Amino acid sequence: MSEKPKTKYDMNSPEAKALIDEIVHGTFMKEGTMAAFPTCFPGATIPIPADESHITALDVSDNGMIYGGTSGRAAHLFVGIFHGVTGVVFDRGTVEGANHCAAVGCGKSRFVACVNGPGGGRVLAGGFEGLPFDLIQEWGFGRSAFQELGKVNGEPIVHAVVDASKQTMVGATSGHLFTVDIEAGKIKVVDEMPGSGRLALGSQGGIFGQDGSAHLWRYDVASGKLERKAVALPEGVWGKAPLTWAKDRHSGLLYTADADGQLFSLDEARGFSGPLARTLLAPVGPMAVTHDGRVFGFCGAEMAKMFCYNPRTRAASNLGVAVSVLERRRYGYVFGDAVTGRDGQIIFGEDDDLGHLWLYFPRIQALS
Amino acid sequence: MSMKRRDFLKSSAGAAAVMLALPEVAAGASAGGKPIKSPVKESYQTSWYPFTGHPDADTCWSVSAGPDGRIYAAACAESIPGGVVKVVRYNEQTDGLDYLFSLDEMVNDPGDSGRATQCKIHYSFAPSMADGILYMATHLSGPPIDQPAYSPWLSWHDPKRCFRGSALLAFDTRKDKVLWWDTLLPKEGCRCLLHDEERHRLYALSYPRDHFFIYDTKRRTRRDVGRIGSINAQTLFLDRKHRVWTTDDYGHLVRYDPDKDRLERSPFVLPHNPEFQTGWHSVFYDVAAAPDRESFYAATWIAEPRLMRIWPNEGEWPRVEDLGPATQKRDPTLPKDTFVDHCGGLVFAGDGQLYYVASRWRDALYNPMPADGPDREGVVWRLNPATLQRQEVAVLRHPTQPAQYVSRGAVDHNGNLFFGDVGTKPVGIFKVHLPSSRRKKNAHLPIRMWG
Repeated sequence: MSEKPKTKYDMNSPEAKALIDEIVHGTFMKEGTMAAFPTCFPGATIPIPADESHITALDVSDNGMIYGGTSGRAAHLFVGIFHGVTGVVFDRGTVEGANHCAAVGCGKSRFVACVNGPGGGRVLAGGFEGLPFDLIQEWGFGRSAFQELGKVNGEPIVHAVVDASKQTMVGATSGHLFTVDIEAGKIKVVDEMPGSGRLALGSQGGIFGQDGSAHLWRYDVASGKLERKAVALPEGVWGKAPLTWAKDRHSGLLYTADADGQLFSLDEARGFSGPLARTLLAPVGPMAVTHDGRVFGFCGAEMAKMFCYNPRTRAASNLGVAVSVLERRRYGYVFGDAVTGRDGQIIFGEDDDLGHLWLYFPRIQALS
Repeated sequence: MSMKRRDFLKSSAGAAAVMLALPEVAAGASAGGKPIKSPVKESYQTSWYPFTGHPDADTCWSVSAGPDGRIYAAACAESIPGGVVKVVRYNEQTDGLDYLFSLDEMVNDPGDSGRATQCKIHYSFAPSMADGILYMATHLSGPPIDQPAYSPWLSWHDPKRCFRGSALLAFDTRKDKVLWWDTLLPKEGCRCLLHDEERHRLYALSYPRDHFFIYDTKRRTRRDVGRIGSINAQTLFLDRKHRVWTTDDYGHLVRYDPDKDRLERSPFVLPHNPEFQTGWHSVFYDVAAAPDRESFYAATWIAEPRLMRIWPNEGEWPRVEDLGPATQKRDPTLPKDTFVDHCGGLVFAGDGQLYYVASRWRDALYNPMPADGPDREGVVWRLNPATLQRQEVAVLRHPTQPAQYVSRGAVDHNGNLFFGDVGTKPVGIFKVHLPSSRRKKNAHLPIRMWG
């Protein structure tokens, strides 16, 4: 606590009005636009129950559909479709015996999901959703059963990602590295490896994950080779917050952050950058990269604030607390995952009761 | 254009005030299809008690009967930097207000701390009958002493500015002594409070995150059950099965059942205006239990508040009766000021009738009130639960300002009604003297267990 202020603010001071405006309105979404979309077809279905709708996993299919999974009292898998005459989140179903979705990944012809429950982690697969006819005119959805691919080894799954070929998912349990052949549905335990934080797909196809407090491991899918302590983490505070990643799909560059909110990039060929910028708050949560290279994400616990890292200026700016006044009027406080949409919009999964998909449309930058 | 919240309310109210009277069109609100009768002949005199002992007070958000049957009120100071709330009690011997304590001093969180202040108690008095305790919990919004405004979103991570948290205080009404206090909701304010005395539990809604909390008064521990939405309901109520009820952003009933330990939402939308409302923001503003506790009367917190009667013990989800709008007709293209178009102060008196205060305002088309009178006023209505007919029984007269916004109402052990005034300073409470034939000793029983 700093020294107590002695004098009462003069409400008649000339700057009072501007300061009030900054305090009240400058708190939220300083640029760009958020739209919170409920986990339903608005007007046609009800959302996923509030305490089963913490969105903790997202991925995007090649045709721009958003596949995701929830956590809470029960886990659900869903698909979100926002292009064309659509506008829907369709609950593909409850996953029996699961209360946490650790990861969702899109393959070539179907998606897979890693879920956890009292019986440990297991993997399921589901077919891709077809593009609906016209969600203004008429529609018809069916709910088909998921294919159970089985348990990994009884341990909870920490995270998983799909490789560059979209044929293999690579995941980590609390104690082991595993792969899933997405088409064949085969799960294989690769090696002993304590899972910690999220995994990421590097610019040259390697899969990375945290290996102790100072390194990353690297797994090569083609050769099946796991390289321990493959990359040294740069100087920073590591191991105090789960590792998070964002990938620039165009350059292949990965972004991550240490527990103090210091941002770094990782090029698989050249290694880590030095510190790029620091976010307003820590820890850094989910983030994703739009088509022009800007990174958008959330930082801070309980009531996260959005940040933007601009690689051109090498600066991280605070964009404020998420609020949506389109589709749904809602504040957004906690987010579980983020992906980049077809057109460069960022889709955040809200990890909260009555979680929504938050579609963020970044400010279009003026030509300089 | 930037304004503080209360400035917004005042200026919007002012906009309504400049409307000129035009030829009459009846303000034809009705209750469940029952016509409104003309003012009754019985005398319902009113008295006004300003918070002169706390000149900073600018709102009164809480008025409740204590376990002793006396009336307690919160003299809140939310607009002034460093403002704090003082707790007052109506003294029937002196026919005045006693100032019991400044709450910041009781909880070691002074107004000059530099943090957001313990500025108000917002629908958060809750009695405990067995031991004579009146629980109370504070809310936020008052700015730090050296800031003109406070945003809990902005300052959540700022240890210098962030509200310390809602202070829960146990006041012994028998000894006039604060027994203990605790932080009920870290960093957040308490929008409304409820006491389930048999289960030794307090229930609260937090602001701004709209989480549902349970506080165990025996163990003095709290538990966060989860988030409801973005718009706080302004009240919780308790049924005889110990279930706690409130609403979500879209006008659905939300129920916490201790046996399930889960927040559940009704699939049905509560009554609302079908022309320009959707159910969004039809959250509870105030709820009063019928004396037999089988039904509950509610008003919503949205311009053109809706009255309804809820039967929580009927069916999987309650039967809900639409009792119609509480206030007058208006221009549906104008988002009416919620400070002007308001209903609150729901309370059952000893005569078994429901009383509440609904606003009335001059509207050129829909309600051309006399130009030489006030442009808005708070009307005390009496609703007969048997017939659902409602009658205007009094108008609250503030000596200098309109008094159309009433936060809460309460009945004391002598059977008179009290209403909290939110408006322009000086604020305070009104007393409505019920006709003797309608007064009853211990009319506050069975006591309301929520703020």
